[in-house]
Amino acid sequence: MQIKTLPNNLSAYKKSLLFKEAVHAFLHEKGFLEIELPVLSPELIPESYLEVFKTEFIYNDKKQSLYLTPSPELFLKRLLTRGIGDCYSIGKSFRNSDPPSPLHSFEFTMFELYKMHASYMDIANLVLEMLQFVNKKLNGKESDKINYNGVSVSLKKWEKIRVAEAFLRYAQIKEAQLFDHKKFLKAAREKGYKVEGSTYEDVFSQLYVQEVEPHLGMNGFPTLIYDYPTEFAALAKLNEDRKTAQRFEFYIAGVELGDCYSELTDWKEQEKRFEEEDNKRKQGGRIAHPIDKGFIQALQYGLEPCAGIAIGFDRLAAIFANVKTIEETKLITIS
Amino acid sequence: MRTKASGLKKGEFIKHLDAIWQVQRADFYSPGKGSALMKARIKNLITSKNIDYAFKSNEDVDVLEVSCLEMEYLYKDTESLYFMDQRSYNQYTLPLSVVGDVANYMKEGNSYYVYVYDEKPLTMRPPSSVKLKIIETEDAIKGDTVSGAKKIAKVETGVTVMVPLFVKVGDLVTVNPETGEYGERVKE
Repeated sequence: MQIKTLPNNLSAYKKSLLFKEAVHAFLHEKGFLEIELPVLSPELIPESYLEVFKTEFIYNDKKQSLYLTPSPELFLKRLLTRGIGDCYSIGKSFRNSDPPSPLHSFEFTMFELYKMHASYMDIANLVLEMLQFVNKKLNGKESDKINYNGVSVSLKKWEKIRVAEAFLRYAQIKEAQLFDHKKFLKAAREKGYKVEGSTYEDVFSQLYVQEVEPHLGMNGFPTLIYDYPTEFAALAKLNEDRKTAQRFEFYIAGVELGDCYSELTDWKEQEKRFEEEDNKRKQGGRIAHPIDKGFIQALQYGLEPCAGIAIGFDRLAAIFANVKTIEETKLITIS
Repeated sequence: MRTKASGLKKGEFIKHLDAIWQVQRADFYSPGKGSALMKARIKNLITSKNIDYAFKSNEDVDVLEVSCLEMEYLYKDTESLYFMDQRSYNQYTLPLSVVGDVANYMKEGNSYYVYVYDEKPLTMRPPSSVKLKIIETEDAIKGDTVSGAKKIAKVETGVTVMVPLFVKVGDLVTVNPETGEYGERVKE
């Protein structure tokens, strides 16, 4: 790896600064508190699909393991349980073993936002309003459209589609197959995917990326795809059908930009999911780290109903700067 | 040779869905649902068509051990290009559809690299540039000094290339055979 200086990106970089300014302006107007956060933590939320960066604080002969946070969630939720209210942070997050690609880096800017007494669909409305606000600031008062990668997207409304509908429409997988592991893997095998030795989650992810994702945010509007099978509930509340979780992702021109949950507030369920994720991490030979028990304690203290979204800030900046890669919005990178 | 998809690299040849493909690009992608993926753009060597395919990053992929041999380009007809391995004197044939537009810039008698797998030629490794003589072009109009202005020129293989105004008949220029773009004027 090396340090790359990219002075030719100045114009896109300046656009990304204007974008950031507009996001702050919108959120301040809406009464959200900006929170500055640490990036090093002695404990983390266990997430089986992420690898972490480990380092040490050393003083005399004392050593303390610290980890670069792969997301600001553990900090922000602690504050939520203490009544901080609607808040957000825009800061660096780190994911080890993720080689750089056009739309991802192992060090990236995460924009995370929480709104109290809100559900995931309230966040959807807020995000759409934010996109409209930012676009007007950047592209003029009359502007309700953006063009990215040759795709014209109107920001007037969401194209909303349930995960099950999207699988039916784009991958010809019926709802009865989607929610039944055996039937799903059989359908995937018939389509030519390798399923031996793979989990439902892995094959779902492959089909989703291969057959569903290329259509999202491509039909003239940003796409909001929602209600994922419970296997992908992560920290999201379940729907009444108990088959799906209140989670959505949103896309513009095929690019995944954000991931939103109606937040799980049940500490017992959260503790159970932490253990499952931690076991998967151990089985997968990932770097061991202490589980953030304080997070569970904070939830025991009580988390009011709320919803939150994590947005890939660099990606959204690249879209508003109309450049193909996140690197093109940077003046200096490591890659 | 079986390898994990996470190790796929541009230029490698793989067996996938009963066909042979060359990896055009491979990007790591972690969608946060299930394991990470390798999003690859792969080119089918029979149809020359590119497709995008998302491999699970831990999925086994058959990477083929392909040799790259220097061969003399003999001639082409309406369907194929004919090559000769200068060491073994074996002749190899590649369909025009596999070589694509690069064939328009290839000179008979010159050496090119051909990928061979299991004694069968797969495709060519296009050179980054080829030197070609200009055989036809109009003289530049005096006083036309618009910078970057271009004109049409015919090169010795019979195709046309856009060149700067100062280029004359008899000049030798470099052309990128994959894009057909002019590079620079060079000496013999």
